[in-house]
Amino acid sequence: MKVSMVRTLILRDLDRHRHYIALSIVGGVVALALIQVGGEAPTILGATWFFISLIVLGSMLPISNVINERKKQTLPFLMSLPLSVIQYTAAKMLSTVGMFFVPWLTLVVAGVSFIVGRRDIPNGIIPVMMVAATFTFLGFCVIAAAALISESEGWTVAATVISNSSYGFIWYLLMRNAAIRNDLKSAVAVWSTPIMTALTVEIAMIAVILAVTFYVQTRKRDFV
Amino acid sequence: MHDSFVISQSDKRPIYLQIMEQIKRRISVGDWSEGQPIPSIRQLAVDLQVSVITVKRAYLELEREGVIVTQQGKGSRVAPNPGLGMRLQEQELRKHLEQAIRLSALLGLQPEELEGRLREACDDAAAKERE
Amino acid sequence: MMDLAIKLNGVKKKYRFFTLDNIQLRVPQGQIMGLIGPNGAGKSTTIRILMGLVHQDQGEVQVLGHRMPAEQVAAKWDIGFASDDMRLYDSMTLEWHMRFIRFVYPQWDSAYAQLLLKRFGLREEQKIKGLSHGQRVKATLLLVLARRPRLLVLDEPTTGLDPVARHEILRELTAVMSDEGRSILFSSHNTQDIEQISDQITFIDRGRIIDSMDKETYLDRWRRLRLEVPAGVELPALPGIINIRQNGRLAIATANVFVPDLANAYENSGARVQSIENMTLEEIFVANVEHSREEVGV
Repeated sequence: MKVSMVRTLILRDLDRHRHYIALSIVGGVVALALIQVGGEAPTILGATWFFISLIVLGSMLPISNVINERKKQTLPFLMSLPLSVIQYTAAKMLSTVGMFFVPWLTLVVAGVSFIVGRRDIPNGIIPVMMVAATFTFLGFCVIAAAALISESEGWTVAATVISNSSYGFIWYLLMRNAAIRNDLKSAVAVWSTPIMTALTVEIAMIAVILAVTFYVQTRKRDFV
Repeated sequence: MHDSFVISQSDKRPIYLQIMEQIKRRISVGDWSEGQPIPSIRQLAVDLQVSVITVKRAYLELEREGVIVTQQGKGSRVAPNPGLGMRLQEQELRKHLEQAIRLSALLGLQPEELEGRLREACDDAAAKERE
Repeated sequence: MMDLAIKLNGVKKKYRFFTLDNIQLRVPQGQIMGLIGPNGAGKSTTIRILMGLVHQDQGEVQVLGHRMPAEQVAAKWDIGFASDDMRLYDSMTLEWHMRFIRFVYPQWDSAYAQLLLKRFGLREEQKIKGLSHGQRVKATLLLVLARRPRLLVLDEPTTGLDPVARHEILRELTAVMSDEGRSILFSSHNTQDIEQISDQITFIDRGRIIDSMDKETYLDRWRRLRLEVPAGVELPALPGIINIRQNGRLAIATANVFVPDLANAYENSGARVQSIENMTLEEIFVANVEHSREEVGV
């Protein structure tokens, strides 16, 4: 029985990146530990570090998993195996997104549990945290799409810069909304309309970007 | 058996001729006797690291000269009268020499002068080989 | 009807600065095809098209009976591909790669793989980034050879290798031919390799096929005639002669369709034929490319 090429490729990508994944999870957990330690500086450091772990992972993964395959010229080696462009693209997107998603989910769950567990931190932070965390996922998808479609390190770095610079702006947009600002202090998580709208837009954009990327990739006639 | 076949890169003659010559040499010194099976075309190609088509050509020429015999599905073997092939070439040489004698008579040459012409031609050919 | 391992018919591919035009290629099963041409001639592009890695603009491509690129997955089960711009994963070991390939291809021959490790002088626990150029090429070929694929497609397999490594590889490639169901297509600008092991030769230059036929016939068609031209004698233009270079009383004529009559024709014109020589593939290569470029008017 012939092995599933898609599964094989995903496992190989995971194999080669296990250190990255482990490090980002450790980074996020250390960040939470800092917040646990208490005090203004550690808390701010920890909160920042929490998101940085995800942002760094999101920036490194597309370069290492996608661009380097072209740069280091290992792509012809893979394409000489019995697989089609569609299978390669599917495997590559699944492994890239998957390798981000797992640490992302882990850290989100850890973060939410942390906030719920700490009585002195209002649960009102959770919705905003979710919007911010989902934005890191969206930012990652933009970088991954750039890497897959452009096949160029230059364009990918450009996408990374644009994506990473927009966090400040997004935070500004969120905090402009008085309702959101007030709900931050609430002891209960408030899933207000602006929050839900933001989440919906983010998720929709993620879906569209991934779908368009897959479509464009499979239409390429000069793959290697 | 054929391990000592050597294809020389510096030898300017085509590879198939080198193969033919080495096979004929084996036969003439008696290493390979009448009726003895010889390596298949593919086997010899692999052992000498040359193309199959080259060995095929060598074998075809050898068969034409009556030195070997190939049977469909049974491979090749030394012909029953391998010397015959070489005798044919001797006959050919004789014909050419007789023609040379006729031409030299037309030119009014003596046998010694004809010998001299032959020596000259041999020396020229050897000089070309060395280039 | 002989089975064709590879069939290309009227294949065209246009790039911005380069066009591959009307490529016809036939590789019968059980034979070695040598693809020869200068750098940038289109050898690699042709190879990528027949591997289904690049989609042709026009024309029919069939490999082992499969239409390419549509049926490339089925075809690639039986094809071993290696190109000189292909790399393995730097930070992984040769052993990791062997396991990878063995996992994908059930027909991996472990015993042969071990034998090749010894013959090529490779250690499987070594990381790829620690290998020299020659070792890396041999490692890549090992991964392809140990599967015993029905068709080997190799883009410059001996380029940049020292004579010993070249010899090791040619030995394994010719060994493949002991099975008449297996075929090889390889490209090279090392004419010695092509001349030694190819059954068929295809010449390609500037995106066009110049010649394609069996090697022995091809080599037999080319001759260099050295002529002595006495004063007042004009050398006739003869069919099958593509080039005459005259310097004073000596001339060299290059024939690409030699027949003994050509020598007689020169003698009849008053010139003396000093010698008729076979040409090496390298000499043919240069003469052929120059001639074809003159013809096209480039």
